[in-house]
Amino acid sequence: MAGELSAVVVDDHPAVRAGVAYWLSTGTPPIRVAASGEDVRAAWLGEGADADVVILDLHLGGPTPALGDLRRLVEAGRRVVVYSMRADDDIALQCLELGALCYLTKAEGAEHLVRAARAAAEGRAYTPPSLAGALAGDRSDHRPALSAREVEVLVEWFQSESKDFVAQRLGISLSTVNSHLERIRIKYALIGREAPTKAALVARAIQDGLIGVDDL
Amino acid sequence: MTDHSRAVLLAVAAVIQPGLGLAPLLDHDHHPAAWAAYVLFALVTLVCAVWVLRREPLPGPVVAGGVVAVFAASATATWALPPDDHFGPAHWSFGLVGWQLLLLLADRVGPLLAALSAHVAVSVAQWVSAGAPDRVEVGGAGVVLLGVTSFQVGTLVIMRVLARAGRQAARMAAEQERATTRAAVAEQWEQDLRARFAGRLGTTLPLLADLADGVLDPRDEETRLRCALAATQLRRLFAEHDDVPDPLVHEVAACAHVAEQRGVVVSLAVSGVAVPVPAEVRRAVTAPVELALAAARTRARVSLLRTDGEVRVAVISDAVIPGAVLPDAVIPDAVIPGHEGTAPGSVEVETGTYGGQTRMEVRWRAS
Repeated sequence: MAGELSAVVVDDHPAVRAGVAYWLSTGTPPIRVAASGEDVRAAWLGEGADADVVILDLHLGGPTPALGDLRRLVEAGRRVVVYSMRADDDIALQCLELGALCYLTKAEGAEHLVRAARAAAEGRAYTPPSLAGALAGDRSDHRPALSAREVEVLVEWFQSESKDFVAQRLGISLSTVNSHLERIRIKYALIGREAPTKAALVARAIQDGLIGVDDL
Repeated sequence: MTDHSRAVLLAVAAVIQPGLGLAPLLDHDHHPAAWAAYVLFALVTLVCAVWVLRREPLPGPVVAGGVVAVFAASATATWALPPDDHFGPAHWSFGLVGWQLLLLLADRVGPLLAALSAHVAVSVAQWVSAGAPDRVEVGGAGVVLLGVTSFQVGTLVIMRVLARAGRQAARMAAEQERATTRAAVAEQWEQDLRARFAGRLGTTLPLLADLADGVLDPRDEETRLRCALAATQLRRLFAEHDDVPDPLVHEVAACAHVAEQRGVVVSLAVSGVAVPVPAEVRRAVTAPVELALAAARTRARVSLLRTDGEVRVAVISDAVIPGAVLPDAVIPDAVIPGHEGTAPGSVEVETGTYGGQTRMEVRWRAS
């Protein structure tokens, strides 16, 4: 990636598109919004096709979540941050399984969106508090086995919305909190479908020493 | 048609056959086939008796078979009459047929009237075909026809009227019974509600009394906390009886709402699949939440997480809970900072302060 990171925003509300563009531009480093549009075509055509991150609203003008669009984007190797109005655990887990790097609810604000977009642009997963809650409350049969400490980190992060607080509560460092969250997402990525970005995510995790090749 | 009126019809059919039918059969010169008809009539009565005595409705096939048998027996008996005795003293079967049809078709008025009419028509046809009657005979037969059929139809009408009156009375009695039950339940519910509210108002009433008497100063921090707590408790209490799919979330949201009205920025997050939580447990779980939210100053994060068999409600806020200054009645022991305790049931409360933030978590194990 040469220099500046870029994003494409797909949302059916112009105010949301403008707000997201503003938030991304004010982060450090800023993320340029290369294209935006009210449907998913913006991510496939013109400048949007080359953007590093796709910020995708899951409910584009209808009650049915655009899971098909998400799947096609992920299969094409795009890095997707799902940005949804609904805090629905099942949908969030489904998006992760399809290969979204983050599921963010619109109630969660600028800070999480910027972090999620930046992480996704680099091919990393980001776990905001609401998603941590969904992962902690996951009772599906095929969920990965998380260690007691990992569950604790998830629950504390969901409860406090503050990683400093989590670190203080559990007596661990901030980077340990982050690596626990990343490891959890890798465990989820491993049980999900094969997808290019997940392969990248897993490869990176091996490089960083978060998991060994044996874990695969 | 009631069981009783059917039993009466059965008795009438059973008594008329040997009582009024046997004598003419013996006295007059019938064809021997008349005895076959007599036995057939008796069989129909007998078969009907099986269901009538068990107080069960006659099955459709039995009714149909019975009607056919009665018609066959009637035609045979009329055919077997001595010449020129139609509708006379020797015509023993004519009245009996009507009663048996009544017994068979008591609940089916339309078919019954049709069958009675058909029977009269067949009898008249048989009579006419046996030889042209003169005017005197026609008059005599008319009197018999009119007398017998009007009596039978009259009986039918009276039975229908009685049955309808009986049904109405039963319906009214049932309605009255239901109304009485409803009234009793409502009264009981109101009493329970009063008792519960009175019990739960324990901390509010002395607070109001003290405020009214000027014992407490509303400018005082502690008084304001107690007021905020009482308001939160009342709000949750009102939410307790709402009919909602997820009562625990509803009650926690009610507590959060009161805090928001005080100007506290509350973020509420709910995760996991809803599980049923009994009312007492909800009370135990929300009591610390009420306090934590009442004490929050500017912001609070409330989270509700349902995992495998466990419900965890946490409040992280900038609250300062002055455990020592509030009366014991207001704060359960378990909620005082640094104190870990077990509330009723398997509800565990944990409180701690971390860098100016107060964290309070209630956990309830469903099993």
